[in-house]
Amino acid sequence: MFSLFYGLWKYIFSKTEFHVLILGIDKAGKTTLLEKLKALYSNLEGLPPDRIVPTVGLNIGRIEASKTKLIFWDLGGQVGLRTIWEKYYEEAHAVIYVIDASCPSRFEDSKSALEKVLRHPDLQGAPLLILANKQDIDGAVSSSELARYLDLKELDERLYMFEGVSAYDGTKIKDCIDWLVEVMERSKRTDRLRARAGVAGSLNV
Amino acid sequence: MGIVFTRMFSSLFGNQEARILVLGLDNAGKTTILYRLQMGEVVSTIPTIGFNVETVQYNNIKFQVWDLGGQTSIRPYWRCYFPNTQAIIYVVDSSDTDRLVTAKDEFHAILEEEELKGAVVLIFANKQDLPGALDDAAVTEALELHKIKNRQWSIFKTSALKGEGIFEGLDWLSNTLKSGGG
Repeated sequence: MFSLFYGLWKYIFSKTEFHVLILGIDKAGKTTLLEKLKALYSNLEGLPPDRIVPTVGLNIGRIEASKTKLIFWDLGGQVGLRTIWEKYYEEAHAVIYVIDASCPSRFEDSKSALEKVLRHPDLQGAPLLILANKQDIDGAVSSSELARYLDLKELDERLYMFEGVSAYDGTKIKDCIDWLVEVMERSKRTDRLRARAGVAGSLNV
Repeated sequence: MGIVFTRMFSSLFGNQEARILVLGLDNAGKTTILYRLQMGEVVSTIPTIGFNVETVQYNNIKFQVWDLGGQTSIRPYWRCYFPNTQAIIYVVDSSDTDRLVTAKDEFHAILEEEELKGAVVLIFANKQDLPGALDDAAVTEALELHKIKNRQWSIFKTSALKGEGIFEGLDWLSNTLKSGGG
C-alpha cells in the first residue's frame, strides 16, 4: 500500500529525467558537443576539443537545463560500432543527430545512417534535432541547405528541427537544448515512456 | 588547514590518483598488460594466484593498478578489492571464442556490484596479434556491452605483446576520469 502511494508520489513530483541520444557518423563532433554541454550546463569543465579521441563505446553527460534532468548518451559513430546504436533506442526520449556541415563528401553516409535510424520502430515518435555542426569552419553549409540535401521522407509525424551550430565554440547550442526540452515535454513518446516506467516502478517496489 | 593547502596544491599541479582494477578470466593477459604499462616491456608471466599491484604515472594521473588472478577458484575474492575503485579494466582474450560467454557472465556480474557503481569501464579486446582474434565490434557484441546504460565505457583492440592499444586506452581513461567520470 505504502509503495503504491510512494510510486504515485514519485510519478507526480519527481523531476523528469530525459534520455537523449547523440548519434551521427564518426568525426561529426558528437563528443565535442557532449563536452560542450557539460561545460555550459554544469560545473564540470568538459574536455577541451583537442583532447577528444574517437569514441569506441559510450560517453555519458548528465546536466540540468530548464528545471529538467537530461542524460546524454554519446555513442561511437564508426561503421562497425553503429550496430549498437539501436540497443539504446527503446529508452531514448529524443535524438540529436550530428552532421559535419563542412564535409560534403560524407553527407551521403550521414544521410543513409540517419534514414536507418528514422526507420527503426523503437524510435517511433522520438523528437529529432539535426545539427549542421562545425559552422565555425569556413565553407560549412547552412542548416537549410543541409535539410535540402538530406531530403528526408520519414519526418512527417515527428517533431524535428534543423539547426546550424558549432560544438567547438558553442554557437546556438543553448537554443537547441531549450527547443529539445520543450518538445520532449509535450511529445507523446515521453508520456509512453513515463507510463511504462511508472508501471514497472510500482511493480518493482 | 594543511590538508586544504595540500588539496589545492595537488589540484593545481596535477597528480590526481586513481585506483584501477584489472580483471578478466585467467590467461586473458592481465599481468602482461600491467607490466607493459609499468615498464613498457613484455615480461614472461606465470598464472597469478593472488594479485600484483603497481603504480603507473600517466597524463598527470597516478594510477594504482591492481591485477587480480583470474582463475575460477579465486574470482570470488575479486570483491575484496572493489571499494574505492574508480575504474575497471576488463581484459578479454579475443581469440578464445569458446570462453567469451563466461567472460561476459563474469563481466556483467561485476557490473552489478554496488561498490563498483561509480566506476568507469575500459575493455581491452586483447591478443589481437593472434589469428582469429575477434575485432572490437565483435567483442562488443559478445560481451553485450550495450546493456551498460548508466556509466561510461570504451573498448580498445590491444596486443599486450606488441604493445598496441594499451596506452590509447589509458588516454581515454585519464580523460574520462578528469572530466568527471561515469
